[in-house]
Amino acid sequence: MKLCEFIRPTSLSEARDKLRELGPQGMALAGGTALHFLQDQTTRRAVDITRLGLSFIRKEGDFYVVGATTPLADIQRYRAPDWTLHEVCRRIATHQVRNISTIGGNICRVFPWADLPVVLLALDARMVVFSDKEEEIVSDEFFDGQPTQRFADGSLLTAVKVPLLRAHQGFGVVKVSRNSAAFSLVTMAVSLELDGEVIKTVRVAAGGAVPFPRRLPTVEAALVGREAKSEVFREAATKADSDVSWRGRESLSPDYVRQLAEVSLHDALERAVSFARARNA
Amino acid sequence: MNQYPMTVSFTLNGEKRTFATAPGENLLDLLRRSGLRGTKFGCGQGTCGACTVLLDGRAVNACLLFVGQVEGREVCTIESVGSFDKSSEIQQELIDGSAVQCGYCIPGIVMSATALMKAETKYDDEIVREYMDGNICRCTGYEKIWGALRRVLDRREASLAKVEGSGSKS
Ligand SMILES: Cc1cc2nc3c(=O)[nH]c(=O)nc-3n(C[C@H](O)[C@H](O)[C@H](O)COP(=O)(O)OP(=O)(O)OC[C@H]3O[C@@H](n4cnc5c(N)ncnc54)[C@H](O)[C@@H]3O)c2cc1C
Ligand code: FES
Ligand code: FES
Repeated sequence: MKLCEFIRPTSLSEARDKLRELGPQGMALAGGTALHFLQDQTTRRAVDITRLGLSFIRKEGDFYVVGATTPLADIQRYRAPDWTLHEVCRRIATHQVRNISTIGGNICRVFPWADLPVVLLALDARMVVFSDKEEEIVSDEFFDGQPTQRFADGSLLTAVKVPLLRAHQGFGVVKVSRNSAAFSLVTMAVSLELDGEVIKTVRVAAGGAVPFPRRLPTVEAALVGREAKSEVFREAATKADSDVSWRGRESLSPDYVRQLAEVSLHDALERAVSFARARNA
Repeated sequence: MNQYPMTVSFTLNGEKRTFATAPGENLLDLLRRSGLRGTKFGCGQGTCGACTVLLDGRAVNACLLFVGQVEGREVCTIESVGSFDKSSEIQQELIDGSAVQCGYCIPGIVMSATALMKAETKYDDEIVREYMDGNICRCTGYEKIWGALRRVLDRREASLAKVEGSGSKS
């Protein structure tokens, strides 16, 4: 992709109007790091959205609200007792890339290796989209297909709302990659709620080795109402096959990737349960 | 057609500068064609770190940044850190520790270490690894680079602690 103009709007509505006016020629530009992955030779006009006051993290009611242009490095460094996004952000790309690329850029155009969609699906996050007014979209709907379609009319993501974890709730994520800058081979994320030792509710999402990040409903069904222990996790993880077909990656066979995914899912469940227990202790 | 139809202004190594440029040009190309050749081109895609510069004090890949993104901001390159004649502490330690082979990765490594020293006051291995995880060296096996970094960071941490200690006494 080539840029033929660089536009720096001063307000959100100006950015939206500009993108509407430009139509398919325009493109919101956050960190700009994804443009290098787009191999097509089209020429676009970039509308810089990083100076519109959309970089922040704050607690609002039952949510952490993360501004769309908040760099991954800021998300990684943020700390609060029930903050869940730092661990995965630490594992995305490199220090330098995390300083530029943003949460919005990671989820508005989903690449197969994107890690945040997996985590946000598991956490049941809400995406705030600004068109003529702000609208909240639940993660299942937002990631039900490539989100770029949603922004074709000049709409912009302004924030991501991550539900605060309540007592008895926990979260865990496991990402496997060859080295720190390498793309995910497998990313597995889990959020759950315990009732004593029993899993009351659970959301499981997978990415990396699948064509598009998605939830694993068969695995979820195999966990609800069961005791939170290793054998149960292992058995449930084998059901992932019914929800997805694993792709071979970087010379690893699909069967190896499947095993990697099952082990990662087991570990993500262990982490989510420890998280929940530690918060109740 | 004019190759550089727009201008960009930013603070470069402490000096306000304006450059003729094109919307699609990246910061690395602009720096190198302007004579600042210390910043290197390695991969051009954000994986090797040879092109690391500081943007408002943070380490970033100059190869990934479009020039328009740095308008009005502050960029520091390796030229602001030290030179052959006047090397900085970290550069000297890398030389003294025989941590430089071909040297291609070194400007990027020095810039990442500079970002670390600017932003942090404690340098446990975990934070050093975090700041350095975007710099690849194909020659040295990292051992000597890590040793040189550790020596500088340990000295710095000790001297920062001393300053803090003396402050609390008075
Ligand atoms: C070397 C390297 C390794 C990487 N490894 C990983 C990895 O392992 N895992 C991972 O998850 N990511 C990884 N990434 C990051 C990822 O691939 C993207 O580059 C990054 O997330 C894009 O963020 P950005 O802010 O730079 O977005 P941009 O490049 O600015 O934008 C990306 C897309 O989203 C659109 N967009 C951005 N913000 C908005 C908004 N607010 N509203 C509407 N549309 C918007 C843009 O128009 C564009 O289409 C890696 C990147 C690099 C360079
Ligand atoms: S040249 Fe920029 S990261 Fe390799
Ligand atoms: S010294 Fe040659 S790449 Fe590092």
